[in-house]
Formats: sequence, C-alpha cells, structure tokens
Amino acid sequence: MLFFSYFKELVGREVTVELKNDLAIKGTLHSVDQYLNIKLENTRVVDQDKYPHMLSVRNCFIRGSVVRYVQLPPEGVDVELLHDATRREARGG
Amino acid sequence: MAVGVRLFSERVGEGGGEPVLDAENGEELMHVRPLVSVVLGNRPPQSPGTLYISTKKVVWLSDVDKEIGYAVDFLSLSLHAVCRDPEAYPSPCLYTQIETGSDEDESEDSDSETNGVVDLSKITEMRLVPSDPNQLDQLFEIFCECAELNPEPIEEEEEEHNWVFSADQIGDEVAEGEDPDWRISENPTNTIGHSNGDHDLARTVLELQIDDQRFEDAEEMEHDVNSSHQ
Repeated sequence: MLFFSYFKELVGREVTVELKNDLAIKGTLHSVDQYLNIKLENTRVVDQDKYPHMLSVRNCFIRGSVVRYVQLPPEGVDVELLHDATRREARGG
Repeated sequence: MAVGVRLFSERVGEGGGEPVLDAENGEELMHVRPLVSVVLGNRPPQSPGTLYISTKKVVWLSDVDKEIGYAVDFLSLSLHAVCRDPEAYPSPCLYTQIETGSDEDESEDSDSETNGVVDLSKITEMRLVPSDPNQLDQLFEIFCECAELNPEPIEEEEEEHNWVFSADQIGDEVAEGEDPDWRISENPTNTIGHSNGDHDLARTVLELQIDDQRFEDAEEMEHDVNSSHQ
C-alpha cells in the first residue's frame, strides 16, 4: 500500500506520468486509487509535436498498469517520511 | 491480456437491442447512451449508433446495420480523456487509447487497413462522440468507475514481477489474517535468491567450460583409441 499512500499525498501537485507507450502527460494529480490508476487535471502532453491530437485534453484517466514512471515534484519528496514509511512497510505495517 | 478492439454483433433478441453480456460471470450493463458516433483510429466517424457500457467492456452498436458493432474490454483501455479542443478533433469527444497487445512498433497514425480489410486489433485510438457534448463529463466518470472495476488479472507465472505492483494484494491477504511479516519479507528474499542464482549460474557456466575442455580431451582420446583400433 506504500505507493498508493504516497501518491495520495501528492494529490494537487503537478506530476508527469510516463506511459509504457512513451507518451508522457503532465498534469495536476487529481486522484489515485488502489490499483494506481491515476486521474490528472489540466493535462498537457510533454512531447506535443509527436502527439498533436492530445494537445489539450483537460482531464485524463490513466490505467495503472500502463504507467511506466511517475515523475514527482522535488518538493513532494520528503526523504525522511519515505524512509520511515518504507521501514514500516518492511516490518509489515 | 489486452486484445484491443474487436467486432461485436451479438445482440439480444432478434438483433434489435442490447449487446449480449456475459451475465454468468457477473457482467452487468452500467449505462446506455444513444446517438453516439464512434471513430476508430483515423477512420471516418460511424453513426448513428448506441453506446453500451458494461462492467467489463465498452460496446458500440450501429443503429443502421445490425451486423456492425465494436467492443473493447476495459482491460484494454489504457487511457481515457475528455477532449474539447477543435484543433485536436472537430467534435468534442471522449478520447481513448487502446492497448493492442501487439508490439509497440505501430505508430499512432499507422494505417490499420491491409488489403481493404481493417485490422481492428491494431487500432490504438478510439473516439466516442456523443450528440450532446454536455454528456462528456458524465461519460468520463462512468468510464473511470468501470475501469476501477477491472484491475489487472493476476498472472501466476509472473509472480516475481507482480509483487511490485500488487501492494493492494498484500493488503488483502493481511486482512485475511496472514502473517504480514512473512508475506512481505518473502518476496525480497526471493529476489536476492535470484541474484544469487545468477552467480551460481555464472559459476556453473565456468564449470561447464572446464568440463567441455575435459570432454574435448576425452573425445580426442576416444579418437585416438578408435584410430588405434582401425
């Protein structure tokens, strides 16, 4: 549940979601569910030349299984907190 | 396994109405939306038709030709979004990307038509254009809801990869009363075990090479023996 909990903390922040088909979408994280399905708002495609038709998709639902990477805002990465959380997770909870 | 778009013409009754659903496996109709056009890839829009959204798939059935219809499982829908930009597409639509299961080589605009026959399984984009653009946000939400009803099926043989993605499964099993310490520590141990296994493999290969040399010698000796017998 660590990723799920962590991503929930990032709701409202700007992230870039890179899909397994190389499409990268930047947007405000609206919500995430237990399957790591991601909803973005105010989205824009990073490589607009390659994907012109995706130019102004306002809100977007991305299936968790097709996500390759999520690029996080640096200010959203609290190393101390993540250390603790991963240790807790490793201990089972 | 994602299969992409497929033809669908199984309709209830005398072909007039709703698509036949897999009720035995719990498939239910969630939503019906008349007057929707469908656009597959770069093909021209097809209309009029009716959109049926079930707990498992999206089905579009032509109102004109009872043999024409398409279905996509939610498992194959990678992404969906409301698109209102006339530059992106002339009509406001629900834009979807479809995982086809084939190699990623196909570019977005690759011609999915071969010898005049459309290969539906290669279509990577589908647009649904409702007659009333104000319905788009509701459609979007229904798609979200149904996507969440269709998580990835658990594939047994990919167990060692699955654990990364299935924090929720671990959660479920913990809820069922299993010892969480055991469950969570098991997988990392396996991973370490695998890397150890690689070292072992490297050593085994080395030993094999040594053995090979021995065998070569043995063969030569065999040859010698054979030749001396001849």
